[in-house]
Amino acid sequence: MVRLITHNLLACHVKGCTSNNFPLKLQDVQIALREAEFNEDFLRGFIPRLEWGALVQAAREVGDDSLPAEVPEMLDDEFLKQLHHVLLEIHIDEGSMVCPNCKHVYPISSGIPNMLLAEHEIG
Amino acid sequence: MPNQFLFVFAQAHEDFRIPELVSIAELHGFELAIPDNLDCSRPFAVLSLEKEEHARLLARRCILIRSVYEFYSRGSSYDDLHERNRAARPKWEKYVPDTSFKFFVNGYNQSIPKARQRQVIEDFSYMGFLGKIDLKTPEITMGCFEEYRDTTGTTRQKHEGDGNFREVYFGRLLEEGSARSLIKTFDVKKRQYFGNTSMEAEISLLMANQTLAAPGKLVYDPFVGTGSMVYTTAYFGAHVFGSDIDGRQMRGKSQVPGIRRAAAQYGVEQRIMDLCTFDVTQNPWRCGGLFDAIITDPPYGVRAGAKRLGRKKGRTTPVFPSEPRPCVDDQPYIPPTKPYELSDLATDLVLLARYLLKPGGRLVFFLPTVTDEYQELDIDGMLCEGMELVANSLQDFGAWGRRLVTIRKTSTQSYGPPTFKPTVSGPGDAPVEHVPAHRDFRGKYFQGFKKDHEDSVT
Ligand SMILES: C[S@@+](CC[C@H](N)C(=O)[O-])C[C@H]1O[C@@H](n2cnc3c(N)ncnc32)[C@H](O)[C@@H]1O
Ligand SMILES: [Zn+2]
Repeated sequence: MVRLITHNLLACHVKGCTSNNFPLKLQDVQIALREAEFNEDFLRGFIPRLEWGALVQAAREVGDDSLPAEVPEMLDDEFLKQLHHVLLEIHIDEGSMVCPNCKHVYPISSGIPNMLLAEHEIG
Repeated sequence: MPNQFLFVFAQAHEDFRIPELVSIAELHGFELAIPDNLDCSRPFAVLSLEKEEHARLLARRCILIRSVYEFYSRGSSYDDLHERNRAARPKWEKYVPDTSFKFFVNGYNQSIPKARQRQVIEDFSYMGFLGKIDLKTPEITMGCFEEYRDTTGTTRQKHEGDGNFREVYFGRLLEEGSARSLIKTFDVKKRQYFGNTSMEAEISLLMANQTLAAPGKLVYDPFVGTGSMVYTTAYFGAHVFGSDIDGRQMRGKSQVPGIRRAAAQYGVEQRIMDLCTFDVTQNPWRCGGLFDAIITDPPYGVRAGAKRLGRKKGRTTPVFPSEPRPCVDDQPYIPPTKPYELSDLATDLVLLARYLLKPGGRLVFFLPTVTDEYQELDIDGMLCEGMELVANSLQDFGAWGRRLVTIRKTSTQSYGPPTFKPTVSGPGDAPVEHVPAHRDFRGKYFQGFKKDHEDSVT
């Protein structure tokens, strides 16, 4: 159920593919929304780990443009609720993620992405 | 003065008792001093805590606690015990006037004849409790425990050796351990989805406690298989990521992945952050410093293959598919794999954890080992700068055993990912460093742990 938080943490890791290998482009995706528990501490702690631009872009690709282009100075309730929704409640059940650089296709089936590499792609 | 409590442990996994207590105390942020001379193979321990509430927190979370008592006295004879109990009067005086009560006496490794039980209880009459005796719903329960040495394997008459105990303890029941019942809840046989690599419930719970799992935390299992530790970790409130080289382990046969079905059964489905198929030695993590803990049972090559992407040396070069082939992991294309030697895997795992953990985060994993060959250096030799050993508990199966190892990332520095380069050691070039007993565990296992095992084929 690839959530956008997960999408934000995965990069193409094909041998030699080390630049422009993130974020993976979402392709032919089927989206589902599922409610998740809100935990403010978790969100606050995670913000520094996020690639914000990539998150905003991925959210737009799946039809959510609620996030501001920059992380706001003040993390108010409303913002945290939005972030919670985008990070944890939008799930990609089917489709694929494609490397913008080498075009490797990582398919997603029943919510599980296959990030295995083929033999000629490993280091 | 700190308060003293008598902990009564379940008769299981003795080596895990103290690490579990210490972990849960750390999770709640209170002090728990373990006396240096404490013999953790004994099922009773008298420990000091600042507050009664701390003892209750332990009783509600530690899987190995049977019950906790406010400690009054102990002795190697009843004379000793009573003398000290009289001196402890300030602790129990308040129950004298009008508190309903019950007394019981229990033998550990021994059943005590009814008549002597009555006598033991009678001998406490100097305490002069004036409240009424209430066997069903007493306000307080006073427990007396006679600890006998283990006599399994010897033949004895019933009650033989009665009264010849090692030590006797006395206190007031504070709380029954309520976490033990989770062993039933997570029983593998009653789970919607499991496999032949599933970890038994009690151990999965103990492992989750070693990670300090709690709401708001993010925990990762890089060899998730059928997800046994995911459920217990999520039950304690953490979000969990899982990955495995073999998607079929996580999915099973039906449309909804097996791990999700089992998680739903336990009401923790929302805490499965995500599942992913990949070889941990070729992983797609964009950055490190992500997780509060890593919990895992790595493959030892006995039941589940310890493998990694690549082709065994000496095989003819395969014909590469001309294009990257998009594939779904329950569909045919499965890249070739080669064996992943256990001591390489263990060293890599520590380095991977140093990369992926937040400062202060924990790595909790099992390492199988050969009983006769094990040395402390086997574990110490795996550590690296910034990673410190917290606990090492043995589950003993005879010729072999497995050690639950807990390591903390003490450094606040960030570290890069490991290279995952196998150590080269072939015939002729003996490795310079220490060779741990778990090196080539698979080979040793299948040779029945004979002393002069050949370098076996992996
Ligand atoms: C001992 S099992 C884990 C069992 C799991 N705790 C459970 O409850 O089922 C080890 C798992 O590691 C996986 N594995 C083996 N080599 C791997 C690798 N290089 N990367 C990722 N997973 C691997 C196996 O497919 C297997 O599912
Ligand atoms: Zn790429």
